Amino acid sequence: MSAFFLTCYVLVWPAVVLCILAVICRAFYQEWRQARREGRSIV
Amino acid sequence: MMDVNQLGGWTVILLLVLFYGGTFVVTLGIGKKKENADGYMTAGNKIGFGISAASMTATWIWASSMYASATSGYTYGISGPIHYGLWGALMILFIYPFGRRIRQVAPKAHTLAEVMHARHGRASQLMLAGSNVVGSLISITSNFIAGGALISLLSPFSFQQGILMVAGGTLLYSLWSGFRASVLTDMAQVVAMLGAVVVIIPVVFFAAGGPDIFTAGAAGLSPQQASFFSSDAFLNQGAPYIAAVLAYAIGNQTIAQRLFAVREDLIRKTFVTATVGYGATIIGVGMLGVLALYAGIQPLGGDVNNLIPQMASTFLGPVLLCLFLIMVIGALSSTADADLCALSSIMMADVYGQNLAKRGQARPKTMLLIGRITMIVATAAGLYFASGRMNILDLLVFVGALWGCLVFPVIASFYWEKITNRAFVTSVVAALAVFLPVRFGWFPVDGAWGYVVDVMSVVGVGVVAGLMAFGFFGLRTAVIAGAAAALATAPFGFGFLHDYAVLSGSLTAYAVSTVLCYLMSFRSSERFDFELIKERIGDFDRGTRPVTDQREAAVR
Repeated sequence: MSAFFLTCYVLVWPAVVLCILAVICRAFYQEWRQARREGRSIV
Repeated sequence: MMDVNQLGGWTVILLLVLFYGGTFVVTLGIGKKKENADGYMTAGNKIGFGISAASMTATWIWASSMYASATSGYTYGISGPIHYGLWGALMILFIYPFGRRIRQVAPKAHTLAEVMHARHGRASQLMLAGSNVVGSLISITSNFIAGGALISLLSPFSFQQGILMVAGGTLLYSLWSGFRASVLTDMAQVVAMLGAVVVIIPVVFFAAGGPDIFTAGAAGLSPQQASFFSSDAFLNQGAPYIAAVLAYAIGNQTIAQRLFAVREDLIRKTFVTATVGYGATIIGVGMLGVLALYAGIQPLGGDVNNLIPQMASTFLGPVLLCLFLIMVIGALSSTADADLCALSSIMMADVYGQNLAKRGQARPKTMLLIGRITMIVATAAGLYFASGRMNILDLLVFVGALWGCLVFPVIASFYWEKITNRAFVTSVVAALAVFLPVRFGWFPVDGAWGYVVDVMSVVGVGVVAGLMAFGFFGLRTAVIAGAAAALATAPFGFGFLHDYAVLSGSLTAYAVSTVLCYLMSFRSSERFDFELIKERIGDFDRGTRPVTDQREAAVR
């Protein structure tokens, strides 16, 4: 198996993790803002 | 033996104070003078997507899963982390249709065992609750051990000091606000964990030699280790794990608790995000094991559990080593606090609410007190077991099997009105009785018994495939998928599957409980009305707690 392919195989996971982290953080921020607007606790 | 770079004692103390102190401060923001019993268990069943996805991801990722994925990569080569992380991730996905059904049937539930009480009665409830308690205690112990081992390896502190720090820190922020604190702090912990994965894996990769490592180290791999389609990896790691994690997902109260907490319309979104998040994180961390294999690194002291800290301390500078420590502490704390909350909910709702308190008269204040005492006792028990570095593997296998025995009866109880308490209990006990000799090799498998095990295992394959298909596509497709999987496995399974005790043990548990539960139920005259569950389970605080119970209490 080529070194290039294996390099991609190793590095693709942190990239996917970064995307998921962005999705979760964005959603959390929106929920936090909405909770503040409504004057209630986020949980 | 390779030298390990350590962090200074004060640095570690500062990091832990920042981590646990910061987490505690976050929980102060949601603290209430008069905490509410339902909030303490499920946060009022209306958590948003961001927090619930973070919490599901953080809870599912525990320190042991990071270590196990790297071990799998080191042992089985490039496909190893996939056979650990992918199946674990897919299980989150596979249980979400069941999760939606469970929420539909019991929207106000706190624990799965509580629903079993409403559906069947005390025996089924206590069976599930008992397995949850043992499973959570094992998980807490395992996480404390991982924390103690990590701190002792990366700092001048001893193992005992390490477990005390981790246990004290986790209890500190979980005790007052319970589940609400757990899910909120999961958000911070998931940022720390996932953020660390994003940075640490590429850094270790390039520090270890970058793409050249694959050319230089290729000669040290066996053909199986170098293959993406390794049968060794599938049969020894992937296949037993597929069977085990389906059971884990259904039997684990930490997952059920999050299922009951998230807003009902967000269940799918939450589970899909957690699936991808968990999978990428765990497979990514598993790459450290693959890199160690290519680099020809020998695990410190011959213990593969040292691989991850060893790779980190070898290839990371002091700042990133601190980040690594936070990543693992975050992983183990998020799971340990979830287990503390799971245990407290079981004691509050299942033991006190439905068995000790008079019907319809459970007091929320007493429940909260019980929940908090449970957390303290559970932490003390975890410390006791962890301090002796108890070998929890056999116990873990036992609980996994018990959950395997419970999967079909529990799932079917939410869909099939014919299942009785008797069928539930008998099938679980019988499955466990058959599992034990298979898993622990009490009888030789080279004769007729081996073929019996093979037959049961083939049926077990069909059951697992059928259950997975059922959630998404319904009964007809499930039967076809189950039959096709069993038929496809049969030709090579006979004379072969019994050699893999872990795999055949789990499959046998599925097969026996399913077949027996079906046979005892299909001619039953019972026609359970699922609407009754909604009536029987409500909030403890707002006076809607078991409507039928209150009605009965008023009549009395």
